[in-house]
Amino acid sequence: MSKIRTLWSKVKGQALQAREDEAFDEEVREHIALLERRYQAQGMSAHEASKAALRQFGNVTFLKEKQREQRGVLSLAEWGRDVRFGMRMLTKRPALNAAMILALALGIGANTTVFSVVDAVLLRPLPYAHPERLVEVQSADEMAGFEGGSVSYPDFFDWRAQNHSFDHLVSYHDASLTLTGVQGALHLNGEVVSWDLLPLLGVSPELGRGFRPEEEKAGARVVLLSHALWASQFGSERSIVGQTIHLSGDAYTIAGVMPATFQFPVDAPQISFWTTLAVDNNGTTQAQTANRGDHEMSVIGRLKPGVTLAQADADMTAIAARLAKQYPDTNIRHNSARVEGELRAKLGDTRTLLLLILGAVGLVLLIACGNVGNLLLVRARERERELAMRAALGANRARLVRQLLVESVMIGVLGGAAGCALAFLSTPAVLRLIGDSVPRAVDAGVNLPVLGFALAISVLSGLMFGLVPAITSARGDLLSPLKEGGRSDTGGQHQLGSVVIAGQVALGILLTASAGLLVTSFIHLTHTNQGFNPDHVLTLLFETPESRYANTRAEFYREYFEKLRALPGVQSAAGSILLPMTDNSAHVSFENPEHPLPKGQLESAMVDLVSPGYFQTMEMPLFAGRDFSDSDTLQSQQVMIVNQAFAAKFFPGEVALGKKLKPGFSNGPSQPPAWRTIVGVVGNIRTVATQRETDPMYYLPASQLPGACCMYTVARTSMDPLALEPEVRSLLASMDPDIPISDVRTMHDRIGLELAQPRFAMVLLAAFAGLALVLTLVGLYGIMAYSVARRTREIGVRLALGATRPMVLQMVLRQAAVLILIGSGLGIAGALASGSMLRAFLYGTGARNPVVLASVWVLVGVTGLLAAYLPARKAMRVDPSMALRCE
Amino acid sequence: MGEGKSEVLQGTLDLMVLKTLYAMGPQHGFGIARRIEQVSEGVLDLNEGTVYTALLRLQQQGWIASKWGTSENNRRARFYSITKQGAKQLQRETENWERVAGVMDRVLRLERQR
Repeated sequence: MSKIRTLWSKVKGQALQAREDEAFDEEVREHIALLERRYQAQGMSAHEASKAALRQFGNVTFLKEKQREQRGVLSLAEWGRDVRFGMRMLTKRPALNAAMILALALGIGANTTVFSVVDAVLLRPLPYAHPERLVEVQSADEMAGFEGGSVSYPDFFDWRAQNHSFDHLVSYHDASLTLTGVQGALHLNGEVVSWDLLPLLGVSPELGRGFRPEEEKAGARVVLLSHALWASQFGSERSIVGQTIHLSGDAYTIAGVMPATFQFPVDAPQISFWTTLAVDNNGTTQAQTANRGDHEMSVIGRLKPGVTLAQADADMTAIAARLAKQYPDTNIRHNSARVEGELRAKLGDTRTLLLLILGAVGLVLLIACGNVGNLLLVRARERERELAMRAALGANRARLVRQLLVESVMIGVLGGAAGCALAFLSTPAVLRLIGDSVPRAVDAGVNLPVLGFALAISVLSGLMFGLVPAITSARGDLLSPLKEGGRSDTGGQHQLGSVVIAGQVALGILLTASAGLLVTSFIHLTHTNQGFNPDHVLTLLFETPESRYANTRAEFYREYFEKLRALPGVQSAAGSILLPMTDNSAHVSFENPEHPLPKGQLESAMVDLVSPGYFQTMEMPLFAGRDFSDSDTLQSQQVMIVNQAFAAKFFPGEVALGKKLKPGFSNGPSQPPAWRTIVGVVGNIRTVATQRETDPMYYLPASQLPGACCMYTVARTSMDPLALEPEVRSLLASMDPDIPISDVRTMHDRIGLELAQPRFAMVLLAAFAGLALVLTLVGLYGIMAYSVARRTREIGVRLALGATRPMVLQMVLRQAAVLILIGSGLGIAGALASGSMLRAFLYGTGARNPVVLASVWVLVGVTGLLAAYLPARKAMRVDPSMALRCE
Repeated sequence: MGEGKSEVLQGTLDLMVLKTLYAMGPQHGFGIARRIEQVSEGVLDLNEGTVYTALLRLQQQGWIASKWGTSENNRRARFYSITKQGAKQLQRETENWERVAGVMDRVLRLERQR
C-alpha cells in the first residue's frame, strides 16, 4: 500500500516537476537566509555568514538533483542514457535481436490486423445519434424456444401503439424495384420503412425532407434516394427534390436525398432508396399491412431515456403475449418478443466468431512473447558479467531492472512498429477474405485507435517478456560471475525457459486443434452433397413488374424459358422464386385433412415456386411421380411436389403421392388457397450452404400461382456459365427492353459467398495456428540449442567417462520429449475444455474430434522432436577433449 | 570527519525528523535542523540539506504533510507536520530502534572470554 502511495506521489511529482523545482528552490533559499541571519547574529560579517550558511547547508546543486530524481519516476537524462545504452545492446547482437523483433512483429502484426476488423465491426458505434439506445425487437415463440422471428404489420402497429418503452418504433424490410426513365432500366435494392425512420436514427437528409406520418397511408408514394443513386442517375441535381420517378411502373415523389455516409440497415450497404410502408397497403382488407399472418418485417426501436433493455423486453413480451391471446389463429407461434441491442442483434454469431479469432491471435502473441522472453533469458546469462560489473560499480538492483526493462520495451516497440507495417500490408488481404460475410468489416483499416492498440500491446508485451528475465538476472547472484571462470550455474533460469516452452507447446496445440476442427468442418461443408449439382449453372434475377405482367406473367415465363433452352450451350433452364443459396426462404403452413389442427397451429414447411424442368436443371432426383409441366395451368388440377424429408415427416410409412394438402398460398386477395394433389416426390437439398440438416420442403408450380414474382433463372450450360450472360441479356431485351437483369452469378459463386464466413474463420485460424507452431518450434529449437551449448562440458565429461554417442543423443531428445509431452498434455486438455466454444461454427465434426486431436498431437510431437534433433545431433558430435579444454 | 563528530547513520535521519515533528508540532526545514542540532549537542555532522531529502521521502510515504506558512524572516516557508500514519510509523520505528539498540548494547558489552 505504502509502495503504491509512493509511486503515485512520484508520478505526480514527475508531472509537476517544474513547479516542485521552484518550490524547493524557494524553500532552500529561505533556509539559507535563516542560517545567514543566525550567523550574523553570532557576530559574523555578511560575507562570512553567507559562506558559513552554504557550508552548513551542503551542496545545493547535488541536493536538487537528488530531490528531482527522488521526486520523479526517473529523470529524463537517465531515460536518455538507458535508451542510448539499449540501442548499443541492440546493435551488439543483431541476429538475436532481429529474431526477437521478427517474432514480435508477426505476433503484433497479426493482432493489429484482427483488431482493425474488431474495431470496425464491434467497437465503433453505429453511425446514428445515441446508438446505445437503439434496439432490435423480434418476435419469439416461448413454447418452442424460438427467437429472432419477424413481425407482421398489424402486430407492429399494435406494438407501436401499446408500448411504453420507445420514442420511436420502426418496421423495415427489403424490397427490390426497377427504376425506369433513366438510361436503361435499373434494378434497385431498397428498404420499405415506417415514416419515422429518420427521427428514430437521428439522421437528417442531405437534401429535401424526411417522411411525414401521413405518408404511411394507402396510395402515398414517396422515396428518399441514396447519395450514390442521386449522383449516378440524377447527376447530383439539387432540383430533383419534389420530382417524380418511376419504380416498377409506379410514380414516386422524391422527398429527399440521404447523405453519402448514411446506411440503413447497417448490414445492407447497397440500399439505393427508402420508401414508406404505404407501398404494402393497397387500401383493401387483404393488403399486407392488414395481414396479421404475414410475418415478414424487422423492427428497430429507440428506447426512451431512462428505459432499460430489460424493461423494454418485459413491456414487449407482455404485449406479444396479449396479442397471441387475442389473435390465436395468427399469433400462437409469436407469443413473445425479445429486445436486443441493435449492433448485437445485427452481428449475432459473428460477434462470437470475431472474439474467438481475437482470442486465438492473442495466444499467438503470447507464444511470440514466450520466445522473446526465452531469448532474453539466454542473453541475460551472457550478460551476467556485465550486470555484475555494473552492480559492483554502484548500480543498484532497481537501476539494473530498469535498464533491462528499457531494453525489452525497446524491442517490443520496434517489433510493434514492424508489426504495424505488417498489419498495413495484411489488412486488405484479410478484408478481401472476409468479403461481405461480416457486416461493417469493409470500414476496417489501420487507423489511429488501431495504432494505439498496437503501441499498447507492444509496450505491454515488452514489459511482459522483459520483466521476468530482468528481475531474475538482477536478483541472481551478482558476484560469482565476476569470480574466476565466471560459470556459475543458475538452474532457475533454465527451468523457467522450460516452463515457457511447455506453455508454448500447450498453446500451439490448442490453436492447431481449433484450426484443425475448422478445417475439418470446412472440408465437410465444401464436400457435402447439396442435393443438386452446382457445376455449370448460371443464375440470375429479373423482375416482371406487377403493373405490366399481372395477367401475363405465366405466359411470359413459359415463352422466356422456351427461348432460353433453345440458346446454344444451354442444356436445360428453369425458374425458382426462392432459389437455394440466395438467402431467400419462406415457411408456409398447410392444412392436412388427415391431421386437422386449429388454424394458428398448422404444420408448415419450406416452400419454393418453380417452373417445369427445375428439378432436371438442378439435377435433383425425382423419386416418384412426375415433374410440373406446361399443362399445369390455373384451369387444370392444382398440384404440388414434396421432397423426401417432407414425405417422411408428414406421411410416415405411407405413400405421399396422391395425398391432398392445402398450402396457404393464393393467387391474390380474392381467391382462397386451393387443395393441391401431390404429384411427385423429389430429393432433399440444402437451401443454405451451412445448413445442418435437410429440411422438409414442398414445391408449387409457378404457373398456377402467377401472382408471385419473381423467379430466378437457373440455366445448366455445356460451357462456362458466365459466357451465357450476354445472350440471356439480349434475349430478354428482345422480349422486354425495360427489364433489367441483376444478381448474375454461377451457382458455385453463390455457395462460395455463403461459405465466406466459415472460410475466413478457417483461413485465419489456420494461419495463426501455423504461426504459433513455427514460433513454438523455433523456441524449442532455440532453448535446446542453448541447453546443449551450455552443457558442452558436461557432455564432454560424459563422453570421456564412457557414454556412447547414441546415449547423448537420447539424453537430449528425452529432455525435449518431456517438454513436448507436458505441453501437449496441457494443450489437449485445453482443447477438450475449450472446444465447446467453437461448436456453433462446426459442421460435420464434433467439438472434440479425436482424429483431429491425434493428428495435431502427432504433428506437434514429430516436428517438435525434429526441432530438438538438430541440437541433439550437435551434442552427439561434441569432441570430449575440445569440450574439456575450452572453458 | 574527525573532530569528535559522528556521521548520521543511514535511515536514522528519517526517524529523527519524525520524532522532532511529533514532539514539536509543525516545523519548517530550518526549524527541524535547529532542533536536531540542539538535541545532538553538536555531536552529529549533518548537512542540513539532507533534511530535505528525508522530508521528501517521508512525504512520499504519507507520513508527514506540508503546507506553506510564514518564517521568522516574514517570508514564505513550507511547514511540515506529522500525519496519523506517521505517528504510527514513528511508534513502530521507535520500538524497532530500541530493540536494535538493545542488541547492539548487549553485543558491545560482551566481555572478552578466553
